[in-house]
Amino acid sequence: MRDAFHERFLAAVAGDAAALAPWCAPNAAEAGLSVYRNTVGKGCADALAAQFPTVERVVGPAWLAAAATAHATACPPRTASLLAYGEAFPTWLADFPPAADMPYLAGLAQLDWLWTCAHLAADARPLAPEAAAALSPAAFSTHALVLHPATRFADFEDGTPSLWRALQSPDAPPKTLELNDAPEGLLLVRPGLDIRHQLIGPGELMFLAASSAGASLLEAAMAALAAEPGLDLSTAFAGLVAAGAFTALRKHP
Amino acid sequence: MTQSFTAGVSLKPQHYADALACRAEGLWFEAHPENYMAAGGPRLAWLDAIARDRPVSLHGVGLSLAADEAPDEGHLAALKRLVDRYRPALVSEHLAWSMRRGVYAPDLLPFPRTLRALSRIADNVDRMQEVLGRRVLIENPSLYLPLGGHDLGEVEFLAELSRRTGCGLLVDVNNVFVSAHNLGYSAEAYLDALPAAAIGEIHLAGHAPDARADLLIDTHGAPVAEAVWSLYARLVERIGPRPTLIERDDDIPAFDMLMAERERAHGLLLREPVDA
Repeated sequence: MRDAFHERFLAAVAGDAAALAPWCAPNAAEAGLSVYRNTVGKGCADALAAQFPTVERVVGPAWLAAAATAHATACPPRTASLLAYGEAFPTWLADFPPAADMPYLAGLAQLDWLWTCAHLAADARPLAPEAAAALSPAAFSTHALVLHPATRFADFEDGTPSLWRALQSPDAPPKTLELNDAPEGLLLVRPGLDIRHQLIGPGELMFLAASSAGASLLEAAMAALAAEPGLDLSTAFAGLVAAGAFTALRKHP
Repeated sequence: MTQSFTAGVSLKPQHYADALACRAEGLWFEAHPENYMAAGGPRLAWLDAIARDRPVSLHGVGLSLAADEAPDEGHLAALKRLVDRYRPALVSEHLAWSMRRGVYAPDLLPFPRTLRALSRIADNVDRMQEVLGRRVLIENPSLYLPLGGHDLGEVEFLAELSRRTGCGLLVDVNNVFVSAHNLGYSAEAYLDALPAAAIGEIHLAGHAPDARADLLIDTHGAPVAEAVWSLYARLVERIGPRPTLIERDDDIPAFDMLMAERERAHGLLLREPVDA
């Protein structure tokens, strides 16, 4: 009868106070159980609010806390460090009925998540522009770019990246929450300790994606041109290097 | 205790610059390692800078030593990396659990203090000290439930845990006050019974009354209550000075406000004879 306490305790916190009967009468347990219930719920909700500040700016703290509490029930934390809790939240939010009239919300959450990933990523020195500029054309097929560990990027079929960027200055929120129809990409980099972000086009996105997948510089460049035929490749490449998106060149293959 | 290590405050990201600039004598900082389990980035860089200047304490909340299973090895390994990086003056955890079968409940949960629990928790503390390669301190929890089925009182349990594992004790005076109120025992008698030699650190924090029941909640969201200051003075008078933390995790005030509370503890510690 004295076994299984931990399992019974969790059942009691989840609502079944009778589960604790061998250790505590249900009517004596309820007040204390609700303290634990509130603390667990607040712990998850506070962690998610900290991870998704742009979402919170749009919906307000109370809405986000309610959504976070529902999310924590469906997807509880799996590690005791909550720094990286919330990976499943953007996808979950897309199917959360109260968010149905805010089609931009899941996308904003996805970009908040990428910001967190960039924030927590390993430190590394960005590739020096001189090293990139010194490459001869012959080296393009024998070298590949290594992405900086903090580099994150995403593409959208609409203007979510512009909306997310407009929401980053809490003092000057955009007057309306409207999405442009034109597809956009966003690049997040952290060459030092501060995160920077910029809009990028389909060619730059493909260049990053191909490099990330292990392509040589030449292969990445071909893929970028296929995605965006009018792309000025050397300017785009120099821009990504200057932003700090890469950390090194390596021999390929 | 030397003057270089008296009273400290919880380290909060919004206070990093103030913490780094502060020149108060004897000041130290305590951080939750769970908030620094990152591969890199600004948090680690700030803590690097602060740990260069000041003693740092790593106060874990997630190792779940009182679970009915061994501590998570991945979490222990991440803690070990932080201990190796920051060489903390103190490392501590709680007499509580929060992780079970791969699901984490962000709280410090209670358990019946049975002899079986004692031997399992002693194994878990042994494992923690073995991996970290150092002695740790274990903190008394805040309690909200009148559980039955205990074989040992909390003081007895902590004293025996310390005897078996060699761990020290972190005495949270606010937790003693809150638990004594919630479960109906004497906070003074509890503090007077603690084994002085085992105590390696003291915590002071604020609490709040529950909105619905006659319970006090250990919120870490308010200044330290006068009744807790009195218990603290009584404890320090009996056991001598110990590194003391003003702990704050919620409703974070300006750094100066925390430091004003910290100065009060600092002053009290300096008045006590140094315990050789």
